Order: sequence, then structure tokens, then C-alpha cells
Amino acid sequence: MGFHEQIDALIDDTQRSLALFGPELALCGTIILLLLCRLVIGDRLSSTLVAFAGTVVGLVAALFSWSQVAGTSQEAFTGMLVIDSFTIYFRIFLLAFAVLFVVFTWRSGIPDREDAADFYTLALGSLLGMCLMVAANHLLMVFMAFEMASVPSYVLAGILKGRRKSSEAALKFAVYGAGAAGIMLYGISLIAGVTGTVHLPSIGASLANTMAADPSSSVLWVLGLGGLMVMVGLAFKLSAVPFHFWAPDVFEGAAAEVGGFLSVASKAAAIALLVRVAIGFGFVQEASAWVDAEDQSVVQTTNGVDQTSIASASGETTSQIFIAARIQDGNSASGQNSQDVQTTGADHQQGTDQQDTDQQSGDQQGTDQQGADQQTELTQPDESQLSPEQQAAEAERLAEEARALGIAQRREAQEVANESLGPVRTYISYLVGFLAAITCTFGNMAAYGQSNIKRLLAYSTIAHAGYMMFAVAGAIPSIGTSTTLAQDHISALAVYVAVYLFMNFTAFAIIAFLRNQTGSEEISSYAGLIRTSPGLAVCFSLLLMSLIGLPPLAGFAAKLLVFSALADSGLWVLLIVGALNTVISLFYYLRVIKAMCLDVPEEGQQVAVFPIWKNIDGWFIFLLTLPVVVLGLFWGPLREWALAACSQLLS
Amino acid sequence: MNLLTDPVGASHFMAVGAVMFVCGVVCMATKRNGLGILMGIELVINGANLNFVAFGSEFLRRNPDYALGVDGQLIALFVIVLAAAEAAVALAIALNYYNNRATIDVDRADELKG
Repeated sequence: MGFHEQIDALIDDTQRSLALFGPELALCGTIILLLLCRLVIGDRLSSTLVAFAGTVVGLVAALFSWSQVAGTSQEAFTGMLVIDSFTIYFRIFLLAFAVLFVVFTWRSGIPDREDAADFYTLALGSLLGMCLMVAANHLLMVFMAFEMASVPSYVLAGILKGRRKSSEAALKFAVYGAGAAGIMLYGISLIAGVTGTVHLPSIGASLANTMAADPSSSVLWVLGLGGLMVMVGLAFKLSAVPFHFWAPDVFEGAAAEVGGFLSVASKAAAIALLVRVAIGFGFVQEASAWVDAEDQSVVQTTNGVDQTSIASASGETTSQIFIAARIQDGNSASGQNSQDVQTTGADHQQGTDQQDTDQQSGDQQGTDQQGADQQTELTQPDESQLSPEQQAAEAERLAEEARALGIAQRREAQEVANESLGPVRTYISYLVGFLAAITCTFGNMAAYGQSNIKRLLAYSTIAHAGYMMFAVAGAIPSIGTSTTLAQDHISALAVYVAVYLFMNFTAFAIIAFLRNQTGSEEISSYAGLIRTSPGLAVCFSLLLMSLIGLPPLAGFAAKLLVFSALADSGLWVLLIVGALNTVISLFYYLRVIKAMCLDVPEEGQQVAVFPIWKNIDGWFIFLLTLPVVVLGLFWGPLREWALAACSQLLS
Repeated sequence: MNLLTDPVGASHFMAVGAVMFVCGVVCMATKRNGLGILMGIELVINGANLNFVAFGSEFLRRNPDYALGVDGQLIALFVIVLAAAEAAVALAIALNYYNNRATIDVDRADELKG
């Protein structure tokens, strides 16, 4: 491929990718506007307004892209990102969160007039990184997105100026975060070195080759170590035990707004990245889309338009040979069959190649005709006296046959490769499942003794990270064996994340609004709340009960889906751990409800008065609590949407 | 194989990278000074970077098909930039902490616990 063709292909690819990149571009634009507005216009244009407008534009772009990308998953920016319905689902989720977050911070007033531009720049920058995490398809992208999401959130944790606790929280967060990122990077370097590729789908293929050649290869130890190190980074982001130390400290020291941001958006992005990495390692896709598309387009441009069918046939056969060779490497059971097909594939390939060189050599007259002749001669030498139309029809038929054969062959090769990845999936599933079990148990146990509501919710967040990881652990074993089952399990996770947004974010909003009135974040300061502001107390109680997972609230539906995924994949130990944990969590959530509803405030204690109908804050809380109740009763549509979101994974 | 007699390959670079990684982790685990910990993190990141550059070269790999090619070098460049950004932010946070507490001893960051 010449230099000019390469540049042309790159420009084409960039243009195509930018069209898929709308929501992220909107976020980038908003960040630049936020910085410029303060420089040029000064204080007259509120940063909150700019941030609100920008996130709404981003959300609209994300919703629009849902219908735009329907049907196929596409790789963008030369395979750096993958844009499929899963990406877009999480993008919509993250941007919807961004809109709510801007409204919430506008009402709670944590970024003061002077800080607002910085605050929103950091928050949106972090969200941009999270959007990339969700779409990551390349190990460099995994690390870069991870850092883009983390670095601004270190600063967000310390946004409360002149507070000792806030600066301590930021320092702890930054040190833990940077350490986890460094270890993750080293793990990535080991994996890249051993598998010889940094493109996530190709890692699966390379791993399948290694596993098939020698299932007890010593290289696998290095890979296992690399996988553990990558898990360190992901566990830090998910605040999974044993890398959870930062969570309670940061949540207590930082503002409640930042706590909401970290517990919802950051966690959702991290769990999506975990799914992406797990699929990348434990699943072999048919063929790399980027290489395939490139191959086809080159053949097409040199051949002219009328040869399209042959050109695409050649594209098919190239990948067919690739996979046939892989089968031979891996499994000799179907060796004879694949060898046959491989040779026919090679014939086709040779035919088109020769034809390409002939045409490029500058033989001007009747090149197309000649090319078609050669094609037919090579495959069916007897029929050279047929008319051009018949020859063309014949060529098309052959191409069709080759393609059908190629597809069948590919599917078989994919199954064989996926079978050999079984131990990898078991390893990932056990690792994630084990971390999930201790995360869940530890989070719930430690939450029991807390007196600060933010610290309590931090431990509750840790426990919920455990529940989300249960869903991943349940989905991984079925990735290679049953695509529909795996999609079903991952969609349970998608539902959980969406429900968790409403439950946890609203709880943090309530904490922030109450803090603005009483200046306290102790659970004891909520005593008597049921008398002064009954609406708020009811909303808060509903949210906490949903966090426990009591029917008929949304938390119950989400937990039910996750647990049924565990039962489906036969992980009974995890199911029992999850059920026991739900019981443990009952006590500490109910303790907060008891403080609000039964405890009598001490003498002289200021009790917040927060009418739910009178002002925007009240309505904000009410409208965000509503989905928790509604989704608990009618979770069908959300479930279907989540299934649609996962339908393009593993295809 | 013997690292001392073999011709220089990716393994030699990996050995240096591994030593840097271990030094960095030990530094992170033992230093009480916040800036010392940040230095340890830089060592870890640069150890990984060395691996990437070595894996990128097809002359260093026994099987050239497994070389990362230009990907390896590009990742190293991006990581250098990211490490600089991270160090800038972490230093700013450490300075902020010093302003509030007049120390950067991480052992004395014990107001938040439980």
C-alpha cells in the first residue's frame, strides 16, 4: 500500500470515526468553552449554564447515536475504540448522569462562583475519560482512559479549599490512584509483550493460539501475573477489596457531590471496562474488522467498481486462510477439512492477486475483461469460451460459494479457538468472583459501625461494587459457550448500573442538601427528620430500602437479575455469599431509617426543614426517587433496552 | 538461558524493567514522605515503559511476529506525557496538603479513618 493510499485510508477512517464520536466532541467543546468564557466574557455568563448546555448537547448526541449505529459494532480511530450498542448505552448513561450532576451542583452550590469553571472542567474531563473507558478497544486506550478519568477526580476530591480533611482525602486518593495506575501499566506491558499485540480482540486470538499450542506453557504464568496487575488497577477504580482503602477516606473528606460523582459514574465506567477487558481476553472474534475493511477497500480501489464481488471474496478468503491456519495450529481434529478449504481459499487469493498486479502494470485495453477471464480460468478452466455475462455470473456464483464456505469455516474456527480459551475464562471468572465475594462481605461488615453517613455510603458503595462484579463473574464462563446467555448476564449488569445511578446519586443529593442546612453529616443529626420534613424522610427511606434490595423497589429487580445470572451459571457459592450479604446490609441501612423516623433529636439540636413540594431542590429529589419506585414495578422496558445494548457484544 | 552470555534481547530489557518495578514498589511501600512515594510511582511507570520500548523492537524478540512494532514506542510516548500530567497534579495536591498541615508525612494523614 502506497503512502498516498495510506494517508487517504487514514483520512477516511478519521472522518468516519469523528461522526461516531459526537458526544465526546460535545464534552471537549464544553470544556474549551468553559475555559474561554471565563477568559473572554468573565463572570457575566454562568459556568453552570455553559456546562448544562454542553452536557445536554452531549446527551442528545448520544441518544441520536443509538439509532445511528444500530445493527453493527464499528471500530473507530484505527481500532483504538469500539463503538457498539454497549458503548452507547453506557455513554447515554454517563451523559445523563452529567446533566443531573450539573443541575444538582447548581442547586447545592458546592462550586462557588469563582470555582465553578474549574469544577465543571474537571468533572467533564473526568467524564470524557470515562466515556473512553467504556469504548476502549486497545491497551493504550485502556490506560489512557483510566488516567483521564482518574487524574481530574484527584483534584475534585480536594476541591474544598482550606479544609484539612479535604486535602488529606485528595492526597490519599492521588497516591493510591497513581500507584494502582503504575502497577496496571506494568501488567499491560507484560500482556502486550507476551501476546504480541495491544488490540484487545487480537489478544483473545493470540491467547487462543498460545493455549492451543501448549496449554501448560510457562508464558501463561507471565500472562496470569499481568492479568492480576491489570486487575489491581480495575479493582482500585471499582473500589474492590483489597484496593478499597481510598474510598471511605475520600468520600468522607470530599464534598458529598464528589462522592456521588465517584460512586456512580466512575464505578459504572470501571465495570464496563472490566467487561471489555474480560471479553477481550476470553473471547475470539471472527476477524479483526479494521484489517478486513482496509484489505477490501484497497482491492476495490485498484480493481474498479464492477469487480466488487470478487474483491469482497478475496477479503473473505484472506481471513479464512488466517483462521484455517489457526485451526491447524490449534486442533488437528478438523485438520483435513480445513486444509482442503485452505487450499481453495489460497487459489482464490492467488487469482485475485495476480489480477491486481496485471491491472496495475498498465495494460490499458480491456483490463477488466482480462481480469474476469483470468479469474474464471484459474478456478474453472473448461468454461473459458462462455460469453462475458455468463462469465461474470459464474464468477459471482463462485465468489458467493467461497463466501458461504468462508463463513461456515470461520464459525467453526471461532468455536475451536473459543474452546481453547476455556481455562482463561475460568481464571478471570474465579478471580473476579473471589474479589467480588470478599468486597461485598467486607463492605457490608465495615459499614456496620459507621456514624458518618458519607462513610457509611462509601462502604455501601464498596459492597455494591461487589454485587456488580458478581454479574461479571457470572457472565464470563458463558462468553465462549453461549453468546445469548452471556449477553443476558451482562444485561443484568447494565440494569444494575442504571438502577444504581438513581439510588446512590439521589442519596448523595439528599446528604448534600441536608448538609447545607445543618452543616452536619452525622447520622445522629438526622433524628426527628420525619416530623420536620416527612417527604424527604420518606424519599430517603425508599432509597435506602432500594439499596438493600427490598421489593417492590428497583434495587430488588436489579439484584434479582444479578442473582439469577449467578444461578444460571451455577456459581452457587457466590449466590449464597450475595444472599447473606443482603441480609447483613439490612441492619446498617435500617439504622439510618431508624435515626430519621424513631429517634428524638437532642435538646438544642438543629433539625433540617426540607419541604419536598415547595422548591426546586425538593422536586429534584422527588423526581429522582420516582424511578426507583417505578423501575421496581415496571422494569421490563429497561431490561429490554439493556438486552439490546448487549446484543452486539460477542458477535 | 544465561543473561550474561546471551546476545542482548528483550529479556535483558525486561530484567532492567523488573528491577525498576520492584524498586518502585518498595519505594511506594516504605517511604513516609509523600514526594518519595511519587518518585516510586515514576520508577514503576518507567519500568513498564522500558518494557514497551523493548517489546516494540523486532530485533530484540526471538520471534519477530510478536514484536509490537510502532505501537510499543507510541505507547511509551503517551505514557511519558500521562506520567508528567499525573505528577503535576499529584505535586499540586501534595503542596495543598502541605499548606494545610505543614507536613507531607503520609503517616500523619490520619484524620480520616474508621
